[in-house]
Amino acid sequence: MNYIIIEGLAFALPLFIIAIGGIFSERSGVTNLALEGFQGFGAFAGAAAVMAISGGNLAGIETPMFITAMVFALLGGMVFSMLHALLCIPFKANQVISGVVINILATALTAFLTSQFNTVLFGKPTNKFVLGICEKFTVPFISEVPVLGAFFTDVYYYQPIIIAAALVASYVLYKSRFGLRLRACGDNPHAVDAAGISVSKLRFIAVMISGALSGLGGMCFAYSISASFSPTIYSGYGFLAIAALIFGNWKIGPTLLACLLFGFARSGGYKLAQVLGLTSAFADIIMILPYVLTLLLLMFFSSTNRAPRALGEIYDKGKR
Amino acid sequence: MKKPKNALKNPFRRGFIAILGNEKYQGFTIPLFAIILSLLAASLLLLSLGKNPLIAFRSLLQGSGLLPKASYAAKKNILTDFMSMLNILTPMIFAALAVAVALKAGLFNIGISGQMLVPGFIASITVGYSKLPAAAALPLVLIIGIMGGAAVGSLIGWLKHRFNINEVVSSIMLNYIFSYIISYFINTNYIDAVSRQSRYISANTRLTLANIELFGLKMDIPLGFILAVPAAFLVKFLMDKTRVGYELKVVGLNKKAAQYAGINVGKNIVMAMAISGALAGLAGVTYYLGNFNSIQPRVLSSLGFDSIAVCLLGNSHPIGILFSSLLITVISKGSNYMSSTINVPQEISQLITGLILLFSACGAYIKHRVSLAKDEIRDEKLRLKQENEEGDRV
Repeated sequence: MNYIIIEGLAFALPLFIIAIGGIFSERSGVTNLALEGFQGFGAFAGAAAVMAISGGNLAGIETPMFITAMVFALLGGMVFSMLHALLCIPFKANQVISGVVINILATALTAFLTSQFNTVLFGKPTNKFVLGICEKFTVPFISEVPVLGAFFTDVYYYQPIIIAAALVASYVLYKSRFGLRLRACGDNPHAVDAAGISVSKLRFIAVMISGALSGLGGMCFAYSISASFSPTIYSGYGFLAIAALIFGNWKIGPTLLACLLFGFARSGGYKLAQVLGLTSAFADIIMILPYVLTLLLLMFFSSTNRAPRALGEIYDKGKR
Repeated sequence: MKKPKNALKNPFRRGFIAILGNEKYQGFTIPLFAIILSLLAASLLLLSLGKNPLIAFRSLLQGSGLLPKASYAAKKNILTDFMSMLNILTPMIFAALAVAVALKAGLFNIGISGQMLVPGFIASITVGYSKLPAAAALPLVLIIGIMGGAAVGSLIGWLKHRFNINEVVSSIMLNYIFSYIISYFINTNYIDAVSRQSRYISANTRLTLANIELFGLKMDIPLGFILAVPAAFLVKFLMDKTRVGYELKVVGLNKKAAQYAGINVGKNIVMAMAISGALAGLAGVTYYLGNFNSIQPRVLSSLGFDSIAVCLLGNSHPIGILFSSLLITVISKGSNYMSSTINVPQEISQLITGLILLFSACGAYIKHRVSLAKDEIRDEKLRLKQENEEGDRV
């Protein structure tokens, strides 16, 4: 049970922060299929910064390097997301197209840069930065409470960061003036424009926020599941986050539930395979659990699903 | 772009606008312009690495059999390279057409990989491992491709219609589900102990005639390609000339208007996904039982995602797709040879592809700028004319 909760959370929270990024962008009216690319590029930026600063020797300085990675992942994701914002907003490109293109570009660019970087820095053209796994901590006393304690055992350092970021994000989205305008942008951009606020600027910022948060999420995956940065980071976390946020009806709270569902179903599946002593081939069957569950739940709940009204539409001032 | 004081003074700009401004040919000229821009950007990138871009681009063409190489191995020449390029091109055309059909109906089919994998797997285990003669096996493979893909596609369409499940989500979920289930079956029943992939299918059932001796050469002949080009024209015919295509397009443009006109929206959504899935299925069989002859467990082909971009590069137009598929395939096929001639990492080719797609995505913006500039020139001409007339009067 503890294993399920610990590993489930470790997977669900990075997914959640990527999904929050997606929510910011989509609630402002910009379809964001580029989350996959953002998280990958963010992870690349963080990992590259760590490699450049530490020179590849991480022993003894894991924690400061971890913080460096987080900061650079945030910035890297944000800078890269400006490309999507640029294409979608001033250049009026189709947002779905732009998203797909950004993903392809991110994969190609990071693979290329990683091998260039490794050649220059270490003289060997590999496409991998080995980072190791982020440190964990256990909260004393509370962790001894049965079941509930598991939420406080072996917590990756990034988990509290994500929770804090998520709280700030939901405050901004639902309680601040900026958030209100952002949400209005996704439903009725003309009203926002009439109130004298620049729709383009707001959407641009929203996409940048989504890039920053996705970058953070990607970095967390690089620091936990793969313990390195390599092209395997593009294994669909971003798409899973999109599924979670649509499942969560573009709201932060329900999206968290969707992410937890993915996380727990995934770790639960692994545990089940372990307990039953199944071979890795059977584990494949169990791995479909989160996806089947999602589809089934969607059958019941998605009749009330409603996307932001102006989602995917290029804002045209003259249009009525 | 700075606005010159007199729009008529710059002949270069005027010629430029005259070429790009002709709306009749814009579907063709603007993507071409974007491609030229992106090749310029790629040249800059290559120059910054200290490589000659012209040699790089020539190597791409040589590697894909469009230009002769300096030397060839025994029993190889330009034709063998060209044939193996066609071999990769074939599934790409089908997959991109699949995206286009769904897009016309306003649906975004991101599940091409899954719709490729399912028929690919079914055809492999039923026909591929059988001892059927080629004449019976090949049509059967194609039929399985069409039926299997259409089944998965219409499932996604039905989920959308019946339960209002966004097709992006359901196809992503189904991609994973199929990939894991098929990986399970491959790992338990059909695994090849050495390659860690599914066992090779028999040569009779493969849609590509591999290593055939012809004219003293050894080459791969992709039989699927014979179908791929007509398929593009068939899709064009379906979309432009038939009732089915018309209804799909109306649903894609405006669901409410379609409903008001008495078009059954649900039926058309399922129909569009079925056609799209069938094309994806053809891509699947030409990929797994043509280009390759086995399936790697747990891996979804990246072709499914690349085809989205290829479709968009071709402006979602069936004939445009033929050209955009060719372009992207040439770059990816030729990259091997390029990395050997000028000693650059192979990732460069993906980067060039990315740049092309990036600039093509700006097509709408280029069009917008061109039409602005056109208006400006027209206004300027009008103003000059008026001034002249006033001058005459005085």
